[in-house]
Amino acid sequence: MAMQPHSKKRVCYYYDSDIGNYYYGQGHPMKPHRIRMTHNLLLNYGLYRKMEIYRPHKATADEMTKFHSDDYIRFLRSIRPDNMSEYNKQMQRFNVGEDCPVFDGLYEFCQLSAGGSVAAAVKLNKQASEICINWGGGLHHAKKSEASGFCYVNDIVLGILELLKYHQRVLYIDIDVHHGDGVEEAFYTTDRVMTVSFHKYGEYFPGTGDLRDIGAGKGKYYAVNIPLRDGMDDESYESIFVPIISKVMETFQPSAVVLQCGADSLTGDRLGCFNLTVRGHGRCVELVKRFGLPFLLVGGGGYTIRNVSRCWTYETSVALGVEIANELPYNDYFEYFGPDFKLHISPSNMSNQNTPEYLEKIKNRLFENLRMLPHAPGVQVQAIPEDAVNDESEDEDKIDKDERLPQSEKDKRITGDGELSDSEDEGEGGRRDNRSYRAPQRKRPRLDKDGSQIKDEIKTEDIKDDVKNVSSVEEPKKEVPPNP
Amino acid sequence: MVLAERSTDVRNGKRSRGPSPNGHGSPDSSSEDENVVPFAAEKIRVGRDYQAVCPELEPVEQRRPEMISDRALLVWSPTSDISDIKLDEYITTAKEKYGYNGEQALGMLFWHKHDLTRASMDLANFTPFPDEWTVEDKVLFEQAFQFHGKSFHRIRQMLPDKSIASLVKYYYSWKKTRARTSLMDVVGENRNATSSGTGKRESGAGSEPGGSDKESDNDEKKWTIHRGIVRGGRPLAGGGARPAAAHTAQGEGGGEGACKSCTVCGILCSQTTAHNSHKLCQACLVHARRTGTMRPLCGPSGRRGPGSKQQRYKHRLPRGIYINHDDLVAMATGPQPGDPPQPGLVNQGEAMLKAMDREIISLKRQVQQNKQQLSAMKRKVGDAGVEELRPGEPPAKINSRWSNEELLMAVTAVRKYGRDFQAIAETLGTKTEAHVRTFFVSYRRRYNLDAVLREHEQDRAHILQGTTSTESADNTTDSSNSNSGAASQQTSTKDEKTEVDSEGVALGAPAERGGPPTTPPPPPLHKHKPAK
Repeated sequence: MAMQPHSKKRVCYYYDSDIGNYYYGQGHPMKPHRIRMTHNLLLNYGLYRKMEIYRPHKATADEMTKFHSDDYIRFLRSIRPDNMSEYNKQMQRFNVGEDCPVFDGLYEFCQLSAGGSVAAAVKLNKQASEICINWGGGLHHAKKSEASGFCYVNDIVLGILELLKYHQRVLYIDIDVHHGDGVEEAFYTTDRVMTVSFHKYGEYFPGTGDLRDIGAGKGKYYAVNIPLRDGMDDESYESIFVPIISKVMETFQPSAVVLQCGADSLTGDRLGCFNLTVRGHGRCVELVKRFGLPFLLVGGGGYTIRNVSRCWTYETSVALGVEIANELPYNDYFEYFGPDFKLHISPSNMSNQNTPEYLEKIKNRLFENLRMLPHAPGVQVQAIPEDAVNDESEDEDKIDKDERLPQSEKDKRITGDGELSDSEDEGEGGRRDNRSYRAPQRKRPRLDKDGSQIKDEIKTEDIKDDVKNVSSVEEPKKEVPPNP
Repeated sequence: MVLAERSTDVRNGKRSRGPSPNGHGSPDSSSEDENVVPFAAEKIRVGRDYQAVCPELEPVEQRRPEMISDRALLVWSPTSDISDIKLDEYITTAKEKYGYNGEQALGMLFWHKHDLTRASMDLANFTPFPDEWTVEDKVLFEQAFQFHGKSFHRIRQMLPDKSIASLVKYYYSWKKTRARTSLMDVVGENRNATSSGTGKRESGAGSEPGGSDKESDNDEKKWTIHRGIVRGGRPLAGGGARPAAAHTAQGEGGGEGACKSCTVCGILCSQTTAHNSHKLCQACLVHARRTGTMRPLCGPSGRRGPGSKQQRYKHRLPRGIYINHDDLVAMATGPQPGDPPQPGLVNQGEAMLKAMDREIISLKRQVQQNKQQLSAMKRKVGDAGVEELRPGEPPAKINSRWSNEELLMAVTAVRKYGRDFQAIAETLGTKTEAHVRTFFVSYRRRYNLDAVLREHEQDRAHILQGTTSTESADNTTDSSNSNSGAASQQTSTKDEKTEVDSEGVALGAPAERGGPPTTPPPPPLHKHKPAK
């Protein structure tokens, strides 16, 4: 990956002026108003006039069901605060009501947020822009048929799906303080999207994102989780972000990047527990930008709204390659930024529980995993003929589809069981029911173990899915599911 | 992105996760551990119900990017034709003259395809709707808000013609403004808090993580108090409103008048009239004359100046707030203070206040702009200025500090050139003429420069008389010995000095020859000042 210097790029920005008017409810920390505050700050900093400004269309149900299930979207479309009582059952099923309340204009809000990210992805596909920004997006917790963590429709997944039409491999990076579980789950079994999430882990929402969660099936090693502890500061963050991302770029070689810029990793966030400054947060944007790939920036968490708008304003300026003054310009929400009325914020004196040794250890573990990628040049691939038949078929399928080193595929088949590293096992282990992870089971040959897992899946999950997978062994080319 | 604690309680089982043994994500916890301890953390699920279906990569030759719709409406694109300054000017006019916001102004320009003149001309034709929130709406909103908090549904019942979106928008623009955080409000709220005993709740706000919004609001409000900003001018009527009220009709020096207060209603005004042992303001006077009685009070009352003790708690104004009668009159009636208030004229006061608000905003904008410029300049100076001041780069640079060597050279140069400071400066190379001048003044005594000058004169005389220079060279060394404070230093360079000297004279000779020989040896001014 050629690094490019800090440079001026063509930037497109997606914003709908209505988005600030949605209100999750009294006492709810998620405030779409922060997007409007950001927008107003951009406008008064004179950054607005340096970008192409788009008002996104409202994503249609059709577009949203590219990822989400039909009945979930149908439910979102029909539910309102005044008819909630009729939907009790579905609300439970789709996890709507508590963290994700029903509020006025809920569906429109989802449409705008998703519409922005999809339109931005389309723009990148058309190569009409190098960087696209949608601060209204980034709702990374939403699942296929479930709302979660203030997120209903996963605009990121929809955007990435759009990018995948024109890009063989898309990299997703998540610097929200929470794990990007929705996106990770959506692409857990594909090798075309690598998800990299830096997040607080351990008794923290959403509970996923263990270091050992590395993806499954074909997507094994294509999910990268960096579990962090309280108090991450700028320096520590960069010390882990830079090597991981450089390595990922080098081994995965994506042709487009999506960066979720959740601002709840900033210091003093109402829900977060990191200690990043606006500068440290924006540094990530700068670093990713340098790779010069088509780049989609989305928002995300962030619950101390004055800092959120500071952060996203600064990151817009970074994307544009424009320097802006530390003194905030007067704007409609000026009083929110007192008492200093400055752009940049200082870290708190909270202690950083991430020791350099700890970070080093994580880094090395992840490097081991990344070495498993078939792409890594000059690295011996140690993976084994992995898992059950269906996986094998997927591997073949992959060769058909893309131009990755076939040598590594051959290696895969040759390499023996004995070379398995511990980390892999743990990775698998972290993911599923622990019954299958008693010590004796670990001694069993790997193929066997995974076979049993697959049986579990068949029981608990979707039979047809597996049937389809099995049938695809004979005809690997048909395995690619038709576009809905 | 969530209140983790809360959600575990609420959703039994679904999201529940015990304290995970790998709690702080220690990746080095041995794998055995993890097999023993039940691992209850959430897991990524695998299956068709969970994963997205990736679309196939479209082969390059089949791609038709131009056929795909943008799915978004372009509302502005940047242009390099218009300079930033011009654009700023345009936006400012649109804002201040026609009430556009920045976005609308740029939208207009974009509509005209970046044609600045046409856009400017068109501005007047499409002035945006003025604020659709009337004063009544705003008052209603505030009342409803006090009643229902941020339940916009309920607020809407009082303002049925407003959409929730509009209420939310107004709420956010209002919550931090003067109207909301004025001293009046703050004091009122504090009073409520203490009287109803809810102060405790407030103090406990910090301990409850992710607490209700109300608390966070209070937090924010405390903030605004802490920062001690006097916002706007209006609520602090005594101070802020006076200048803009421009009630010249009231006459009298404003400063003096402000101190007077009516002995009946107690409010400050610029002019009081003695009447039956009372000093009355205009309103009280009118009332007294018409009715023969003192005006009954219904508003902020009590015969009290700002210092009076018998104020009743209920009616006391917050500290720092004084009601000035003149301002009230001016606000209520506009320029004619004598007229009885008419409903139609209320708007006048309102218009006045609006104008003041606009002025405040544009001033604030200016303040921030200036701050930005200042910091930019500071940065520039910081970058380049230090470079320049950094000492000792190329030796030929002008430097006002005198090194010992330079001092020595200067003394010898004086010996040679006398008072020709320019020549001395040129010889030294590192000093300007002015530097040498100051050197001469400040070191005159210390180095006994008068003596040196005398020798110079003598030399000149000698030269003119055609005598040799050896003698003078001896003289110089003598004199330098006598005048030096630092003898050791002088001696160490003595040789060098004499060398310079003799050389200098040798060089000087042709100059003398070429120069006008007419210059008479100026009578040393300092003759009467004996050298020490």
